[in-house]
Amino acid sequence: MEFRDYYKILGVDKSATADEIKKAYRKQARKYHPDVSKEPDAEKRMQEVNEANEVLSDAEKRAAYDQLGSRYQAGQEFQPPPDWGSGFEFSGRDFGGAGGDYSDFFANLFGRGGAAAGGPFRSAAGQGGYQMRGEDRHARILIDLADAYHGAVRTISLQAPVADESGRIVVREHSLKVQIPRGVKEGQHIRLASKGSPGIGGGPAGDLFLELSFRPDVRYRVDGRDVFTSLPVTPWEAALGASIETPTPSGPLQLKVPAGSQSGRKLRLKGRGIPAPAGQDAGDLYVLLEVVLPPADSDAARHLYQEMARELAFDPRRQNGQAKGV
Amino acid sequence: MTHTEIVVGVVLDEAALTLEELARACAVDTRWVVEHVEAGFLGDGSLGVSHWRFSSNDLTRARCLRQLERAFAAEPELAALVADLQAEVRSLRQQLRAAGFSESRGS
Repeated sequence: MEFRDYYKILGVDKSATADEIKKAYRKQARKYHPDVSKEPDAEKRMQEVNEANEVLSDAEKRAAYDQLGSRYQAGQEFQPPPDWGSGFEFSGRDFGGAGGDYSDFFANLFGRGGAAAGGPFRSAAGQGGYQMRGEDRHARILIDLADAYHGAVRTISLQAPVADESGRIVVREHSLKVQIPRGVKEGQHIRLASKGSPGIGGGPAGDLFLELSFRPDVRYRVDGRDVFTSLPVTPWEAALGASIETPTPSGPLQLKVPAGSQSGRKLRLKGRGIPAPAGQDAGDLYVLLEVVLPPADSDAARHLYQEMARELAFDPRRQNGQAKGV
Repeated sequence: MTHTEIVVGVVLDEAALTLEELARACAVDTRWVVEHVEAGFLGDGSLGVSHWRFSSNDLTRARCLRQLERAFAAEPELAALVADLQAEVRSLRQQLRAAGFSESRGS
């Protein structure tokens, strides 16, 4: 695990005031926000900026980080010292809406997404002998599109703050096998009861919300429950019609390509998109035909093209209403 | 040490969140949610707090609003406008991808 220089990430001096940190964060957030940024690694950079802001905008965390940071350089191999966190108490304020996507470095120092019981620090709220429910936590997981069609069980790794033998809160990695129900959509949440941050003073644990995203698949594109795919076809299949075996997320099927199809024709397979729970409509699968020409890379192929040119009075520019030769 | 267990969750939208559950999931006070629903920034506009139910979209949007308001000290109206624009950008990008166009990143 490498040490992270949060001041460098925000582009501020170590003596920066709270106001300067706030301004630097807003400037960087505008630059790297994934919805507007043109930077190729915008999402990763935005996470770093969020993380840096979470620490430097909080006086308590900043003081703890500064104490530690005086001994490290950015990128240097880092292990939290055994006494890390002793002598500090956090007020129990939350970590903000950065989504819980924190680096291992952050998680080891402050916990991951848990607020009151953040990392190795004892919460002030935890000292009073009363019970408090643990915070809800959030994580984003990638699933395959096929999982939405069939349902699946996926193993996810999470780091969570837990109390050790001496009552200190430490970050431990654990894995969960999560059932992904059939018919889920991108952006939906699965709520796992009592899998969030542990409660305080014997209070119940919070919930864990998993936000679902589909793992990018070059074969398929998804919009809601509708799924889109492209199917390369030969000119004769498009012209004469054909029955073609087509891969789909639910398994291969025989697709009837109508005669006279052109490149770009969209065939709709009703109900073959992502399934839906009872009472709702399943999505559709759209197959976009792409007519691919065979290369004229042999005498026989060239001869066939020349024969077509002679025999077929075909001028696509005239068909499109364009004047010949323009 | 690692341990493994099988967990069966509930998909939001099939069992939507109550007001209190949404507030807790966003680490905000219920009053914050009520104000945002009454202002039309959240929820489906239905009447009666006790009947309010919130979907996955509401949860995503509420967390987004909260982050914008907190990180940028944004007025709720401005945060809602930015959230609308972000949602619009994401929707248009999704449509582009569905139409077979890949969005260009970088100059």
